[in-house]
Amino acid sequence: MSCRPRRAGAGRLLQDARAGWLSLPAGIVAWEIAGRVSDFAFLPPFSAAVTAVWRMTWSGELPLNLLASLTALLAGYAAAVCAGIPLGLVMGRYRRVDAFLDAYITILLATPKLLFVPVLFGIFGTSRLTQVIFIFLSAVVIITVNARSGVRGVDAGCVEMARSFGATERQVLARVLLPGALPLVMAGVRMGMGRGVRAMIMGDMLIAVVGVGALLRKYGGRFDAASVFGLLLVVVGVALACTWTIRSVERRMTRWTEEA
Amino acid sequence: MITVRDVHKTFPARNGNAATLALRGVTLTIATDEFLSIVGPSGCGKTTLLRMIAGLARPDAGAVEIDGLPVSGPGPDRAVVFQQFALLPWATVADNIAFGLELRGMARAERTTIANDLIAAMGLRGFERHHPRQLSGGMQQRVGLARALAVNPAILLMDEPFASVDAQTRRTLQDDLLKLAERSRKTIVFVTHDIDEAVRLADRVVLMSPRPGRIAESLPVPLPRPRPDDLDQAPEAIRLKAYLWRQLRRMQQDPPPAFRP
Repeated sequence: MSCRPRRAGAGRLLQDARAGWLSLPAGIVAWEIAGRVSDFAFLPPFSAAVTAVWRMTWSGELPLNLLASLTALLAGYAAAVCAGIPLGLVMGRYRRVDAFLDAYITILLATPKLLFVPVLFGIFGTSRLTQVIFIFLSAVVIITVNARSGVRGVDAGCVEMARSFGATERQVLARVLLPGALPLVMAGVRMGMGRGVRAMIMGDMLIAVVGVGALLRKYGGRFDAASVFGLLLVVVGVALACTWTIRSVERRMTRWTEEA
Repeated sequence: MITVRDVHKTFPARNGNAATLALRGVTLTIATDEFLSIVGPSGCGKTTLLRMIAGLARPDAGAVEIDGLPVSGPGPDRAVVFQQFALLPWATVADNIAFGLELRGMARAERTTIANDLIAAMGLRGFERHHPRQLSGGMQQRVGLARALAVNPAILLMDEPFASVDAQTRRTLQDDLLKLAERSRKTIVFVTHDIDEAVRLADRVVLMSPRPGRIAESLPVPLPRPRPDDLDQAPEAIRLKAYLWRQLRRMQQDPPPAFRP
């Protein structure tokens, strides 16, 4: 049931949320036109970027490097989710744990993770592991912080109610705090994915000699703008696909927050 | 039988507020199957007393016993109905009602049967799959009551359960509770600040003094069971309510001298 008044004409047209579907195609069209009209070598039209992606796909260069990047992303991100959610739950529930770890979380939240790259180099060398840990560090903080806020937002009355029915501490965590924190936990999981993808690319470019980031460096060095833009498209596509997947899971899990 | 013996409770100082003595030497015996109302001005520690019987809080000194055994925590013999309902917003009405049973490890089929019976008894049919925020306050508290009844407790502890609903709904809920109390054998401890409500429902009314809380008076309600429809007009009820009002006003006008530990 919506209370929004129905508008006429242009007003109503502008209220239509389905316009969201138009935004990407509109951008692509504008890009294509700008690329064709301008004589600027560093702005190839959209179609040239797509052609470059096509070429890199069939040469086997892109699938191989994309697989390498995504493997690192998956490993680091999965570790971040598995560590961040329980850590956030425990920090939200137990004041003492929170007091002990809060300083580290704040430091990690405030500093650019890029600063850790030289340190990680020093410890793990230029291996894939360095990149995985970099992705993990980039994603884990936001997931932890969100899970902690989620737990703190759960109505204390619900915890007391569960205890009055004899709930064990474990049941309080699993049956009350986790489901109650879920909307924020899932928001953190989604934001963590964005940071993970960013760290994946940075890691590729700075650390690893393989992956999409390494390809970007290679074509960037050759001033091959079409390929660079093509790779950009691929990265954006990966990021959007991951975020959309997580969001649809999120919607399914937190449907109760929408019904009124 | 619930025995509260010489219970003291102090809440420690916090955020610059001095420590508060919430209960001082509370002694009270509640018979099995008795319906007891506890009334008193806000801040007199009546909720604290109820939480101690529930096992959610511990006395600093003194003892709370149920049938001779000290209360060391929540137990299957007791269930609480909360003022703010404390329903799980993500769970459906049916799952909320079955929550206590779920915590106790009852199989899904079995707890669904019990929940369905209570849904019918509480007039919640058709709302099984609804979430709490889709219900009115009165219906939410019906769910809260059904959840407490689902675990079939011998003792029902109610903490101002009808204080957050509108006056009309409160009447209906009171009538439902009266029927329930007269039909089933349960010890009910009912905390309220509403004198009318206390007299309507209870076998006995206990009046607590303002902080530090003590039992000021214990008065039996001289009304028959089942309670007549026109009980608000019964002269005994009017007299008792007038007396309680007088006592309450007197307590608020000249509070007892500050207690120094």
